[in-house]
Amino acid sequence: MTRGSRRYLRPDAIARIHRLELRARAVVEGALAGLHKSPFKGQSVEFLQHREYVRGDDLRRVDWKVWGRQDRFTVKEFEEETNLRLTLLVDGSTSMDYRGGAEAVPPRPTKYDAAATLAASLGWLALSHGDAVGCGVFDDRLRASVPARTKRSQLASICEVLEAPRNAGAGDFQRVLRSVAEALPKRGMIVIVSDLLGDRDGIFAGLQLLRTRGHDLAIVHVLDDDEIDFRFEGATRFEGLELPAHIACNPRALREGYLAAVEAFLAEVRRRAAAVRCDYALVRTGEPLDAALVRFLSRRASVAV
Amino acid sequence: MPTLEFAPLFWWGLPLAAAPVLIHLINLLRQRRVKWAAMEFLLASQRRYRTRVLLRQIALLALRTLAVLGLVAALAQPRWRAAGGIAGGDATTHLVILDDSCSMGDTTGAESDLETDTTAGDTRRATAFDRGRRVVERIAADLAATAGRHRLAVAVTSQLATSSDVLPPLLPLLPFTDIAPGTIQTVRDAVGRAAAGDGATGLREACPAMRRLAAAAGGRRVVWLVGDFRSRDWLGSDEPAATLRQLAADGATLRLVDCAGDGPGGNLTLERLEVVGGVPAANVLLPVEVEVRNDGSTPVRDVAIELREDGGGRPGVRIDEIPAGGMVSRRFDVRFTAPGSHTIEAALPGDVLKADDGRQTVIDVVDRVDVLVVDGAPDAASGGGAGSSGDGFYVATALAPGAGAATGLRPRVVPPAALAATDLSRFACLWVLDVERLDAAAVAAIEAYVRAGGGVVFFCGPRTRGDVVNDTLHRSGAGLFPVPLAGAIDLLPDAKAAAQTPDVTVEDHPVVAVLAGQRNPLLDAVRIERFWAIDRGFDAAGHGVRRLLSLRTGQPLVIEKTFGDGLVVAVLTTAAPEWNNWARANPSWVVVLLELEGHLARLRRRAESVTVGEPVTVRLEAGVDEPDVDFLVPPDAALLRQTAVATSGPMLEATLPATAHAGLVEARWRRLDGTERQRSFAVNVDPGEGRLERAGVGRLEAALRGVPFRYDRAADVAATAGDFAGRPLALPLLIVVAALLLLEQLVAYAAGYHPVARRPTA
Repeated sequence: MTRGSRRYLRPDAIARIHRLELRARAVVEGALAGLHKSPFKGQSVEFLQHREYVRGDDLRRVDWKVWGRQDRFTVKEFEEETNLRLTLLVDGSTSMDYRGGAEAVPPRPTKYDAAATLAASLGWLALSHGDAVGCGVFDDRLRASVPARTKRSQLASICEVLEAPRNAGAGDFQRVLRSVAEALPKRGMIVIVSDLLGDRDGIFAGLQLLRTRGHDLAIVHVLDDDEIDFRFEGATRFEGLELPAHIACNPRALREGYLAAVEAFLAEVRRRAAAVRCDYALVRTGEPLDAALVRFLSRRASVAV
Repeated sequence: MPTLEFAPLFWWGLPLAAAPVLIHLINLLRQRRVKWAAMEFLLASQRRYRTRVLLRQIALLALRTLAVLGLVAALAQPRWRAAGGIAGGDATTHLVILDDSCSMGDTTGAESDLETDTTAGDTRRATAFDRGRRVVERIAADLAATAGRHRLAVAVTSQLATSSDVLPPLLPLLPFTDIAPGTIQTVRDAVGRAAAGDGATGLREACPAMRRLAAAAGGRRVVWLVGDFRSRDWLGSDEPAATLRQLAADGATLRLVDCAGDGPGGNLTLERLEVVGGVPAANVLLPVEVEVRNDGSTPVRDVAIELREDGGGRPGVRIDEIPAGGMVSRRFDVRFTAPGSHTIEAALPGDVLKADDGRQTVIDVVDRVDVLVVDGAPDAASGGGAGSSGDGFYVATALAPGAGAATGLRPRVVPPAALAATDLSRFACLWVLDVERLDAAAVAAIEAYVRAGGGVVFFCGPRTRGDVVNDTLHRSGAGLFPVPLAGAIDLLPDAKAAAQTPDVTVEDHPVVAVLAGQRNPLLDAVRIERFWAIDRGFDAAGHGVRRLLSLRTGQPLVIEKTFGDGLVVAVLTTAAPEWNNWARANPSWVVVLLELEGHLARLRRRAESVTVGEPVTVRLEAGVDEPDVDFLVPPDAALLRQTAVATSGPMLEATLPATAHAGLVEARWRRLDGTERQRSFAVNVDPGEGRLERAGVGRLEAALRGVPFRYDRAADVAATAGDFAGRPLALPLLIVVAALLLLEQLVAYAAGYHPVARRPTA
């Protein structure tokens, strides 16, 4: 395992999520038969095994005969399903370098670290199910990327991309997503891991473009606890990481207005994500990332057809 | 106008009000720096709440500044006065009048209250004046620590009451001085130089000057009267009440501080030491009387009085007992062999008030004392002087019998016509014998002489004309002759009396006291045949006429009346044995005439006794003496030169305007011929200063009814007490500060300056 994979793949997190399946919510085009439902009809499926029903499994997959004989719920699993092409886009703009909770034990990661961890975990999951996974890191443009592959060494390539040096700069989502749309001729699933701080019209215009091209979209919105709760005290000078502005203030005096602005921001993001049928999950850097990943996957599984 | 006053601490603490602003600025410099991603939300919040945040911040700073200001002000003992200037404006002027009269030397009640003499380093009992000095120092110290601006001036009563170029008037011991902690030593030094004097000028006597000084102070005033408040000063006069009432009406706050000590007292005072008769001539016995007063509440026994003559010791006198509140006198004789100024000193054993335990008198002894005898007999008018059988002869012989009996008198017999040209002031007394008529100039000269303290004796005989006497000398009581004369009548024998009744009876009078008592064979032998009767309708007693001798008929024979400062005696019969046999071989004649001379001349001699504070005057002769007179004044014989000025007549007067200490004042001058002249004056304390009875607050309040004042004993006085200090505001200010701090906390909480418990965000 490379240094990047060691850094972003936490064994404890992977142990908790290895049984979860990454499912595409919509019909996607797959080059490989696999676990995923294919948008193309008539292809044969081969029974592989029974496994115990877990909450969230599709009731149509429950083997009622087994239930009739043994009075327990089991789910039938098939050996071949539609292959998934998963593309992970990680925001590498300057704003993702914020690290809050200096006094927290253990220290919280930067937003980029958390985003990269989430991306690597998703990549590993998809690869472990035989899906093709690609990855890119962007700010105002796509800085580093690796195309989707199913090979086992793909995970190391993904981690190298995540570990690649980044140029400080503001993110330009519209430009990046437009280039991604052009670079991905086949439909697939695109997961964007970002703090979404920037030109939101550009973000959702890019997402709309991807959606038009038939991609399944998901946003993992990574924010630091400080950015959500704003629990600063004492005279503080805030200096913009991306914006060339600064404010010297008593944070508590501005907290009420700040929280209102953040709430409006999150509401807008949720509303506009729903408008483009894009899955959305908010992840705080202060919470355990495996829990955040499970929550994300469970949410996708619950809404999957 | 209302006044808010603070202690000087306020001005020192005022810069602390800038502390909240400074702390705010320092916090701005020390603020934490955070690299922040979500600036757009922060900027949005700032845009929305900029005004509210700014206002809350200003409100917080204002509240904190006010709280600090309030705390500093509370610590500075703020006081609110209903009347006065704006804070920091008009000062309060404190005028301290310190009584330095003789009675302030009283050490009553100071058995354990000792004072160290700064010059000698000795320890002695503290006097009332020492306590007064401490009071002044305490006032200065209290004022220095009291809110507001205070000016202090200290004056002693002797300075206030003195008005002359030599001893400057209204010269305060301490001029008006702004009181601060650094000036307390100045006040201490100023009052440390003062001492209780020997004068009788107390607070009562200083009232007029006090009023002027208080008026000069202007503005808001507090007049402190620091003295001993004796009954004799404050209960027997309306002047203190009137002065204090006027001061109060002018807006002054009055503080009376009683420095007299508590205790039994028991002060003895040498009330009097004076020559009580005789002729102050060389080799003549002079009777001197010393009198001691006991102001205590118990009799004093076995009092020894030490006496000194010209600085040398002489046998003293002893008084067996002096009753409580009574006086006892003792007489002793002195004889000086040489002409000149001679001093007699008397001293009592020391008691609570030392200043009144000593007394001295100066006797100007001359070779012979001139007396003028104006003889109305024709042979005297011819210039032959006293004939061998006329009135002048018998009077002159009685006054100067001859070598065997030295009286010290030198009679000069002149006719009435010589009166107008004679300087009467040279003579100890005048004898006018059976003069028919005196011209107007002579009458005026005699009247001026008597008014100035001289004495004159009129003998009335056959040449005397009643109508002339009544018109020129009596003038219906306006003139110097005591009574109007009705006519000369014979004293008829008393046919009813079984035995011979004396024609003359002795009245109660010091001149004839030696003849009073049991029947006196010498006076019984006097036969009066004829005399001048006075008008029956004249009320002699009502006109101040006093009898020395009377006839057996009840009619007056020898009478006396004061005229101006002098005395007039009228003998209503002849001096020569023409209408009586008194002068013929009767020793009582000589005795009565010598006593009479001493009695009449006493007033002129006694005028040379001076009380501390009074002027000393030397009379010079124009054309004989140089006008410059050097006065050597006690206690250190400081020299003060005075130039004599002309008075009425040919005389000049050089006056030392005032004396400040008891002792001998020596006057020296030169005559134009180069010879040096010298004369001494005894300056004694006012014996009244020995009356140490205190008025007390109760009687003071009664005497000063209607005058608002505050009375304190010296040990209890506090300068900050009383209405002038205003209402203390420290506590209300502290409450306001607490309210400000509470409000500050609320605003700070609202502004988000308080830490809050962390709660997980949902």
